[in-house]
Amino acid sequence: MNVFVQSVISGILVGGVYALIGIGLTIIFGVMRVINFAHGDLLMLGMYATWLVFTKLGIDPFVSIVITAPLLFLFGAFLQRVFINRVLNALPQNQILLTIGLGLVMSNSVMLAFTSDYRILTTSYSSSSFHVGGISVSQPLLYAFLITAAITAALYWFLMSTDTGQAIRATAQDRDAAQLMGINVRAMSVLAFGLGSALAATAGALISPTYYIFPQVGSTFTLKAFVIVVLGGMGSVVGATLGGLIIGVTESLAAVYIATGLKELVVFVLFLALLLFKPAGLLGKTRA
Amino acid sequence: MTKKLAPILALLALALPGAGRAAPVKIGFINSITGPEAPIGENLTNGVELAVEDLKKKGIDVQVVRQDDTGKPQVAMGAMEQLATGDEVAAVVGPYTSATANAVAKLAQQYKVPQVVPAAAKEEITRQGYDWVFRLNAPAHVYAQSLIDAALAFGKPKSIAFIYESTDFGASVAAAGKDYAQKKGLTIAADEAYQKGAPDYRSTLTKIKAQSPDLVFMVSYVADAILLMRQSREVGLKPQAFLGGGAGFDTAQFESEKDISTHVLSVTQWTPEIGTAGSAEFAKRYQAKYGKKPTYHAACAYEATLIVGEVAAKAGGDRKKIREALAAGTWNGIMGDVRFESYEGFTNQNRLVMPVVQYQGGRSETVYPAKFAKKKPVYPFPGWK
Repeated sequence: MNVFVQSVISGILVGGVYALIGIGLTIIFGVMRVINFAHGDLLMLGMYATWLVFTKLGIDPFVSIVITAPLLFLFGAFLQRVFINRVLNALPQNQILLTIGLGLVMSNSVMLAFTSDYRILTTSYSSSSFHVGGISVSQPLLYAFLITAAITAALYWFLMSTDTGQAIRATAQDRDAAQLMGINVRAMSVLAFGLGSALAATAGALISPTYYIFPQVGSTFTLKAFVIVVLGGMGSVVGATLGGLIIGVTESLAAVYIATGLKELVVFVLFLALLLFKPAGLLGKTRA
Repeated sequence: MTKKLAPILALLALALPGAGRAAPVKIGFINSITGPEAPIGENLTNGVELAVEDLKKKGIDVQVVRQDDTGKPQVAMGAMEQLATGDEVAAVVGPYTSATANAVAKLAQQYKVPQVVPAAAKEEITRQGYDWVFRLNAPAHVYAQSLIDAALAFGKPKSIAFIYESTDFGASVAAAGKDYAQKKGLTIAADEAYQKGAPDYRSTLTKIKAQSPDLVFMVSYVADAILLMRQSREVGLKPQAFLGGGAGFDTAQFESEKDISTHVLSVTQWTPEIGTAGSAEFAKRYQAKYGKKPTYHAACAYEATLIVGEVAAKAGGDRKKIREALAAGTWNGIMGDVRFESYEGFTNQNRLVMPVVQYQGGRSETVYPAKFAKKKPVYPFPGWK
């Protein structure tokens, strides 16, 4: 029983961070219908930024989110204005090629600058945990989860209750109608991409104390992000949150009850099975 | 045109009489210069550098042609082909990892280039009957046997859990370990292979903790070793001993993470205090030049390069003569007595005794076997602070 509870808790904690990555991707897709293959690389940039700030300025990875998130927001906005905006009306294949290319440029530039040596962040709480009734809860993961929960709640409030947030949702629902209603859809696109990048970077910062940092780390996460977004329904923030948590818990339980080497396999089999029964994802709406 | 060409050529021939002089002997060196194993690769690079210096002092001029395999077997194979056919080296030292060394061994045999493997553990590398491939370090089963023998000498463990990375290195050491553990009557409590680059081991470690094994045997490279121990601490895993199978458990980086490395046992091919000829001076020189303690990888690479350099120079760069000299020779240096023998299915394998170290107070101390031991082991594992 203990082992079960322990795996579920670890799964939820890790799932929270996965959810953050998924939310960023789903916002970008919802607003622009662009499949961002560079999402994992944005996360990687967030990790490197956190590592740089940690080693050069000595700022704790969780605290440095206030520096790295806005930085990556601006970078994402820049990418959108200069590159993505030009292909919004192009064939989806071309959009994908563009984002893959951007991802390659990002990961290889970082490889040139920092070499592909693995970096590890060591903080005072890197290996600490809280022990509650026989279950050990990883300290860095718990902080990451709490921060993720706070950010997700804030994001949800932003999207539901503020004018700008509603404008973003309107653009996601129907771009032309939103434009007719007087919403500056170009600005909304820039905002959405910036937001998505900032979220990816934050996710990177949150997992940096418990993961190793190297230029190609992005690809694993891009793949995970896609599974989460499709699982939860493309364009749905709540869906992405749910998707992240489900993937986290599934991975964790699969590692314990089946085999560590097969945990990814179980996730993908589950994913395929779900798509067979609900192609639009858990909370997705079939688009007109 | 031809009227002008001939005198110019004649002039050149007079001006460059040295073109006929013997060039320094070329040795290829394939290593993980960048990539995930770069921290360990750095030790090999430094070891080779020191060897080249020493060879020069003896009047042997060696030109090392370096190739980066980034830790990937395909890249290593490409590098080997370049060295064998493009640069036409006399012999090759390296690569570092088991996966790359095994891939290159096939090419060494195919292109008939003598290859001396300095630090790769996978058994099969010298079990394929390749007479052009020589291995300086002890193979996987010795890693496993030394660790388990040490644990059995210190206490009375009854069960053992294995967690290891799933490439050639981890799989071969773990397989040898499981085999030997069963022979010694230990029950295998768990057998978990993980993918390199999948760094969340918490659930696996929780599963292992639930089995309460007496020993936890881990085989990993640098990044995984640190994360595994961090997460073991988080999860509260407390066996009688943590047995680390070399590589990642044997680096300065791991040693420096005192919170998690203290009291971990690891097996190594060489330590600075081992007492073989020149070990202490080598360690002092390395520390002075590079600012850190040398690992066994540096020592292995150093000795391998010394041996290959001397043999290659004496053979005048002839690959066949080099191979014969390597097969027949004996050397004594910082790795002790070196002799490439064929025995029990191994070809050209050096029989090295592997000492077991334990991290005590942030330093690695040799604790087994008795003839090398400098400090008493702390057993069982006293728990996490």
